[in-house]
Amino acid sequence: MPAEEAMSPLHEGVALQTSGLYKAFGGLTAVKNISFAVYEGEIRAIIGPNGAGKTTLYDLLTGIYKPDAGRIFFAGKDITGLPSHRITAMGMARTFQTVRLFPHMSVMENVMVAMHHRTHCGFLSCALALPPSRREEAWMREEAHRFLHIVGLEMQGESLAGNLPFGQQRLLELARALATQPKVLLLDEPAAGLNAYETRELGDIIYRLRDMGITVILVEHDMGLVMRISEKVMVLDYGEIISEGTPEEVRSDPRVIEAYLGSVVD
Amino acid sequence: MIASNGGSGKKRGGSYGSPPRRPDWMGMLRRNALLLGFTVFIMVMPAWAVPLSKPLSIPIILTMRLVGVYAIVAVGLNLLMGYAGQVSLGQGAFFGIGAYTSALLTTKVGFPVWLGIPCAILVAMLFGVLLAPVLRLKGHYLAMATLAMGIVVFVFLREMTWLTGGNDGVRNIPHLSVPFLEITSTRGEFYYVWIVAIIVLALCSRLVDSRVGRAMRALHQSEVAAEAMGVPVSAVKKRVFILSAALGGLAGGLFAHLQRFIDPNQFSILLSISLVTMVVIGGMESVWGSVFGAGLITFLPKLVEALPRWLGEVPDWLERYSNYEGMILGVIIMLTMVFMPSGITKGMVDLVRWRRSSFVNPFRRKAVD
Repeated sequence: MPAEEAMSPLHEGVALQTSGLYKAFGGLTAVKNISFAVYEGEIRAIIGPNGAGKTTLYDLLTGIYKPDAGRIFFAGKDITGLPSHRITAMGMARTFQTVRLFPHMSVMENVMVAMHHRTHCGFLSCALALPPSRREEAWMREEAHRFLHIVGLEMQGESLAGNLPFGQQRLLELARALATQPKVLLLDEPAAGLNAYETRELGDIIYRLRDMGITVILVEHDMGLVMRISEKVMVLDYGEIISEGTPEEVRSDPRVIEAYLGSVVD
Repeated sequence: MIASNGGSGKKRGGSYGSPPRRPDWMGMLRRNALLLGFTVFIMVMPAWAVPLSKPLSIPIILTMRLVGVYAIVAVGLNLLMGYAGQVSLGQGAFFGIGAYTSALLTTKVGFPVWLGIPCAILVAMLFGVLLAPVLRLKGHYLAMATLAMGIVVFVFLREMTWLTGGNDGVRNIPHLSVPFLEITSTRGEFYYVWIVAIIVLALCSRLVDSRVGRAMRALHQSEVAAEAMGVPVSAVKKRVFILSAALGGLAGGLFAHLQRFIDPNQFSILLSISLVTMVVIGGMESVWGSVFGAGLITFLPKLVEALPRWLGEVPDWLERYSNYEGMILGVIIMLTMVFMPSGITKGMVDLVRWRRSSFVNPFRRKAVD
């Protein structure tokens, strides 16, 4: 372990860092030599055309896929190859591009599931409803309510998650991710399917999360939102980072324009 | 709409506060109303069922003992299949292992029955641990693997004659007992089985509504999301599998001492299939549904058998009525699946709700997918 830490290129203030990540599916290299570092308290946007490898990158970071090469460092540790639930327990949470709630469970229960790793009562204690498990249950409800309040869903606690309108499902996903108590939160197209008003509200929520000390990484196609809230933008195309910088820098980068609009024919 | 719902501090129903310091007896009564009601129903059952058995020509209490046994294994299967979404078509294996363990320990080694049944649970759990790697498979593959598991155990029970006696089975298995007391009367057996069953039901219905139960239901609905939310999916699956094996073993142990004679054919693949039927008909994701399913599937053949005797003079085609038993069961399953895919108990509950509110339509409700 000390040897590993000595090897890790982490320095002060880095929340999440990757070095040389590769991932190929058959002949298609979805993620190619990606190295980046995100600092604590940052709001970082990752943009790029469809199929650029953004979601694959997320899947690698959260341990759903194992990278073919490269390493991921998080919270001062090498987390490459750890199972997803361990990474979550260490403080990295995510939402999904296509909403993946537990549709047959109540809104409240959805959030409570995300507190699994922060609670301990096992099969026996739960089945016997021993005092510790009852205390834990009450605590979870209170805590879940707090997270629902952050996204404004506290009145819908008892309705089925699958019955919520789409915009609220996205918010519930956010609340659920927050309930894991993340240090780094990965949002995968959080504004997709939201109307202009909801998108603006989402931006405010993301600011509030940053103020709570959460580092936010967001993959997003809504350029208005990206340009407004992110401090640094990273552009991916064909699995590679083609540009990185402040929103203004990225916007005027010719390679980015080429990736989105095609190359200039003269 | 998003962040500005007023009245932040006050919550609906006030159910989120810290738990009351004094025990809340009325609340406890209300929460456990179903369990208490059912317990009372079972406890007074012999009073009306015994006089009714003769005119109906159905041995109600005798059959109810088996319902209790099947309810235990069906609840275990429902935890695995209904709640955690892991199909098992081989649950009869654990039932058989439990039955043989207790039967052999009591007849050959001389264990008392009240020790044989816990051993049945332990051995079934051990097999659960050994077989748990099948849970790496998903969907149809898991179904096939568990089906094979059921068949393999059945073949072992039949062919390992030096241990199991093969097709001759195990005879003269002692009656159920508690320390210093053997239980021989039908009514005693009925109470014995149902007290165990009610304890199991009470524990399971608590479990499904707890941290562990939520993890089970979550991984059923999306493994990726559950894992991403910090639920150790494969560990939870494995534990549910072992728990369902334990309940299978317990039920099997009870079964052996009720029947007092077991042979491998009682634990064939048909048993596994009818256990699945109990769960599906009664209702996936419903503890009480499995009890209902167990009751329905166990009583149906008795009812079919009794029908001709109710009629006295029986036409010739009705004489062979019991041959149609399988067909009737099939029709019931088909109708349930078409009209109440979430099972009969849930369907009925929804039907009642539907009468009150037009937003719930039981006939539209999909089975949990």
